This record gives sequence, C-alpha cells and structure tokens, in this order.
Amino acid sequence: MRAFSTPEVWPQLGPFEQRLLRKLWRQGSATVRELLADGEFHQAYTTVMTTVDRLYKKGLLDRVAEGKAFRYTPCHAFEELQRVTALDSIRQLLGSGDTSALALSYLVEAVSDHDAQLLDDLQSLVERKRRELGDKGKNREQL
Amino acid sequence: MFALREIAVSLSCFVLLYCLLSALAEIAWRPVQPLHVAQQSVATILFALRVLPLVVSVIVTFALVVPSFQLLEPRAIGDGMGAIPLALGVCALLWIACGCSRVIAMQTRTSRVATRWLEGARPFSANADPTVTFQSHRETPPLTLVGVCHPRVLVSESTVALLSHNELRIALRHELEHVKSHDNLKKLIFRCCPFPGMVKLESAWAESAELAADDAAISNQCDAVDLAAALVKLSRLVPVEVLPVCAMDFAAGSLSRRVARLLAWDEASKARRVRIRTWFVIPPVVAVSLLVTIAYGPVLTLTHDVTEWLVR
Repeated sequence: MRAFSTPEVWPQLGPFEQRLLRKLWRQGSATVRELLADGEFHQAYTTVMTTVDRLYKKGLLDRVAEGKAFRYTPCHAFEELQRVTALDSIRQLLGSGDTSALALSYLVEAVSDHDAQLLDDLQSLVERKRRELGDKGKNREQL
Repeated sequence: MFALREIAVSLSCFVLLYCLLSALAEIAWRPVQPLHVAQQSVATILFALRVLPLVVSVIVTFALVVPSFQLLEPRAIGDGMGAIPLALGVCALLWIACGCSRVIAMQTRTSRVATRWLEGARPFSANADPTVTFQSHRETPPLTLVGVCHPRVLVSESTVALLSHNELRIALRHELEHVKSHDNLKKLIFRCCPFPGMVKLESAWAESAELAADDAAISNQCDAVDLAAALVKLSRLVPVEVLPVCAMDFAAGSLSRRVARLLAWDEASKARRVRIRTWFVIPPVVAVSLLVTIAYGPVLTLTHDVTEWLVR
C-alpha cells in the first residue's frame, strides 16, 4: 500500500467507482470477471472493465497481467482514503475565504448532530436491555 | 570538584537510563491492552509501565551509580568533569525542574478549581460516603472526582435531578472506585515524569481506569444497565469547563465502548477474566534484589566501568 503524498490530488469518485473500490478492499485483489462473479454488480463486463481502468488511471489501483486480463489491487489502505478524504473536505470547508468561521460552525453543528444521534442510539440500546432484563425477571417469577 | 563530578555522572546515568526505559515502555505497553485479563489489572500494568522508568532509574542511581563512584573512583584533583556528563547533568536538572513545576502548577490549579466548586456544597449521601461526596450548587461538571490528598466526589444539581436513585447510586460507586484506586494521585505522578510520546500510554491508562471503575462498581446486570443509562444521560449535559488533570470525569473515555461493555456484562465473563494481583510482582523483585545483593561487588565494578566510559 502506498501512502498519499499530496492529499489535494485525491480525485473525486463516482458512486460506482466507490463500490468497486470497496469490493476490491474487501477481496484484496480481483480480475473484472471475479468482481462480477458473485452477482453484486449488474453492470456489463465492459462497463466494469472501463471503470476499473479509470481507477487505475487515477492512480488508485495497481494491475498485473493475468492471462488475457488484468488483476487489480488497491494502491491505498481504506483508512488512508478516509483520512485523506476527511482532511481534504475540512480543508476545502475552512479555506473557503471570508466564510471560514461560518464553515466551522457548520462543522461543529454536524459533529453535535452526530453526537446526539449516537446518544439516542445508545439510549435505545439501554432501554432495550432494560426491557429484556424486566422480561427475564417476569419469566422467572412465573416459573 | 569530585563531588560535582559525582553529581554530574549520577545525573547523567539517571537521565540516560530514564530515557532508555521510557522509550522501551512506549513500545511495551501496546500488547498489554488485548490481554484477556481484568481491566483493573490492565490499568495496574499500564500504570506500572508508565512509572517504572522513573522508579528503576532512581533505584539504580542511588543503589549503584553513587556508591560505585564513591568507592571506586580515585579522588584525583586534576580530573576535569567532561562535556558529556556536564551536558547530560544539566539536562537531568532541567528535567527534574520541569517535572516539579508541572506538578506544582497542576496541584495549584486543581486546588483552586476544587475550592471554587466546593463553595456552598453540602455533604451528599445516596448510599455513598458523605465525607467524600458533595452536592454542589455552583456550575460544576455533572459528576466528577477532584483532588489528590483529599479527593471529593462532586455531584451537580442537574445530575441529581436527571438520574434515578439506582443510576445515581451506581454512578457514585463508580467514582468512589476511583478514590479507592487513587487515580488522581496516579495522574499527578504522571505529571512529574514527563517524556515525549507518553500521552498515548497515559490515555490508554485513563481508558482502562474508567473501565476498571465500571467493573468494580457493578455486581449484577441491573447495576450494569443502570450505569450505562447514567453514562448516556450525563453525556448529554454540556461540559462546564475543561477539567484539571487531577480530576476524573464520570463520562470520560469512549462512551460507545463503555456502554457496549456494560450492556454485554455477565457474571460468567467477569469470572473468566484473570486478575493479576499486586503481590505477583513480589517474587521477581525479591529475586532481582537477592541477585544484586549477592553480586553487589561485581555489579558495582561494572557500573563504575560504564560511568568511566561516560566520563571519557
């Protein structure tokens, strides 16, 4: 896996490109035929081939010849992609001229929303566990 | 000059040994966390690894370096001090001064904050020790332990209003477990032995200390669920201010991890986890001490050879 030297060059990826890349991260490496084998993608062979070729040209995949086809391998770790994408987005947000304070407030708001969502999820987990314990207690009493 | 050389050489050996051991501790702590042992033991091991460089350096300096210099170094008047021991000695003195100032600054700040928070507070007893538990009327964190010599658990009014009786009882028990473990004192000790890159080890210890207090506070599944509920509720409260280092916040550490552990708690998993007792370290310490005592003469000679190499 290579490390990113300049995060600014991280290319924008389309939804299908992202799905293909995610699958390659899961599998480690694959040919186009192997990518299509489990039926996860319903696109034509040539569409997948064109897309992985585009990812290769963007510097996101390595490839080695295997018979008449190519075997593709991701160049970068998934965590590295996440880190670079997040950093790039934050840089773009904060570097947007006079409105950086406003952008920062959006960021704080988004983080707060995320925290609130997390707390809601945890609260519902606690309540579910409480109900389970209550049901168990009742069952024991009935027995 | 002899005394000055002795001090410089001793300080040099101390600082070199401390740096070496600290660098080793930074590598050694990482495999500790995945061990299948009780969190109390993980916290103890991490604390030991953090303070071991300082303890070992002090022992080696006073038990070996100073006596070897006193007994084996010829008292020649013309001998100079040498640039390396002088530079290392100055580094050691700066390090000691830095450690002391950090401790004093932190202790002063903690005392000031604790005094402010405790103004008008009254003893609070919800099945907790009222001599250490106080309900504050001022703007304070929801539930926190503050202070080193006389640690106090502070409960805010909003916490009392928000938590049910059982949730509050178990949350207070969690904080009292920090009192029993002297966690604030441990935090203060960390301040007196600074070393670059130790922040990660200290964070890992803090996380383990929270999990250990969680484990010690609960004794059944209902307790675990109550503690998880209290954690989630208090995490919703906006923090008043950044806590001083000598304080343990109830909702510290990874919230998701703590809640997940508490909800998955069962008696069997608790029993399966191995508890490493403190007395386990006594046999190796006694063995090493005996070995050093038996071979004290050769060890002193070896130490002196090393210090000679340093002086040159």
